[in-house]
Amino acid sequence: MNALEIKNLTKSFDGFQLDHLNLALPSGCIMGLIGENGAGKSTTIRLILDILHRDSGTVTILGKDNQENIHLLKEEIGVVMDEVGIPECLTAHQVGNVMKHTFQNWDCAEYNRLLGKLSLPEGKPFKDFSRGMKMKLGIAIAMSHRAKLLILDEATSGLDPVVRDEVLEMLSDFTRDENHSILISSHIVSDLEKLCDYIAFLHRGKLLLCEEKDLLLAQYGIVHCTAEQLDRLDPSAVAYQRRSPYGVQAIVRRSCVPPEVSVSPISIEELFIFMVKEAQ
Amino acid sequence: MKGLLIKDLYMVKKYCRSYFLLMAVFIGASFFATGDNLFFVFYPCMISGMIPVTLLGYDERSGWDRYCRTLPVSKGQIVSVKYLIGLGFQVLIILLVGTLQLVRICTGGPMNPGEFLLLMALLFIVSCLSSSICLPFMFKLGVEKGRVAYYVMIGFVCAGSFIASGIFSASLRSPMQGPFALLLACLTSAAIYALSWYLSIVFLRKREI
Repeated sequence: MNALEIKNLTKSFDGFQLDHLNLALPSGCIMGLIGENGAGKSTTIRLILDILHRDSGTVTILGKDNQENIHLLKEEIGVVMDEVGIPECLTAHQVGNVMKHTFQNWDCAEYNRLLGKLSLPEGKPFKDFSRGMKMKLGIAIAMSHRAKLLILDEATSGLDPVVRDEVLEMLSDFTRDENHSILISSHIVSDLEKLCDYIAFLHRGKLLLCEEKDLLLAQYGIVHCTAEQLDRLDPSAVAYQRRSPYGVQAIVRRSCVPPEVSVSPISIEELFIFMVKEAQ
Repeated sequence: MKGLLIKDLYMVKKYCRSYFLLMAVFIGASFFATGDNLFFVFYPCMISGMIPVTLLGYDERSGWDRYCRTLPVSKGQIVSVKYLIGLGFQVLIILLVGTLQLVRICTGGPMNPGEFLLLMALLFIVSCLSSSICLPFMFKLGVEKGRVAYYVMIGFVCAGSFIASGIFSASLRSPMQGPFALLLACLTSAAIYALSWYLSIVFLRKREI
């Protein structure tokens, strides 16, 4: 079963349109939504959560339409936004008390365990937390009500590398249960490359690509050569190319390239940048 | 909804202390006030009506208004909690003022039972109107723009009250029509409060943030 399925999702604003988006996140997997600022990542997430009203299309979460009893469906979704959104005067202990009476499946023991694991003080007001601590508290809340789907919007941006690594490890642990899935958006591609099973590229409201990460990395490679060497390749092998006076960088389909051509592994970040520039 | 209520009570405890101090001072002063000076009685009611507005302002500042939409609560519950909080404090103020005024009557103070009932009715009307006028604007436009719309609206309400007082003042003086006009005013205020509650839910449902 797919944890999340989006079909032909459309939303228009002045100067921006999310254009017939199609995505499917299988249960037990992590999908990274990659896009530059303003690409439509947060809009997609807000549409999934029905915070924004869609113009057309469907969103199915854990097999149910997101507009039918969305507030019951949210029992099974843990959300962390780029700004966590906890009132500044509340302490972690008070937040636990609020959430205990908000989520039917709230697990106090798990919440307290996570507070301890993440070294979050129970009695300190939220306003005195650092950005990293705030984000960790958001993640602790999202993981303490037995959610099956985590939705994270830029949850790792602004965190220092140590905290980011901690957070990524927790997320990775979460999906050890095959009923658990994560949709995470970020423009820090390296984080998503470490974590995700599936990668979706968004650019100006359009989906450029949605594919299994390992398949992408196996399918594509990068070739550094001269313009003449590139011209000798089968044109169908070249997905994207960048020519400069110093040579050519091209992303190629490995299966179409002769074995004597040296193809280097490509990172998701390089692939994303090439695709966005091509789209522009 | 209980979670939202608990969260708002934590915030009231933290952010509304000065309001309570003001209310206590004015309620105390109302006990000793002489003549027809109703300011000391109405002012605490109006302050208590501003508590939900203050909470909405802090919610918006912290991003809670967006975050709470990711929680398993309906938009009706998000709105209703603010009205319940306001209602709770307004009832408390009316009871406190009412008790003090009763004590005043029992101890031979300058108030008779008819005036007491009139005072309670006016308190009820002021309480209903103070928050019901502004909250729908806040839920529709956000706190800052809502505040501007509220100031414009309050101008219309004041003008309306001025006209209405001209119409009703004669009725209030009449022994037969006075209670009827007062009851009508109370019922109208309660209806405005209910309409405001409903409109706030409709506005929040439509609002995208």
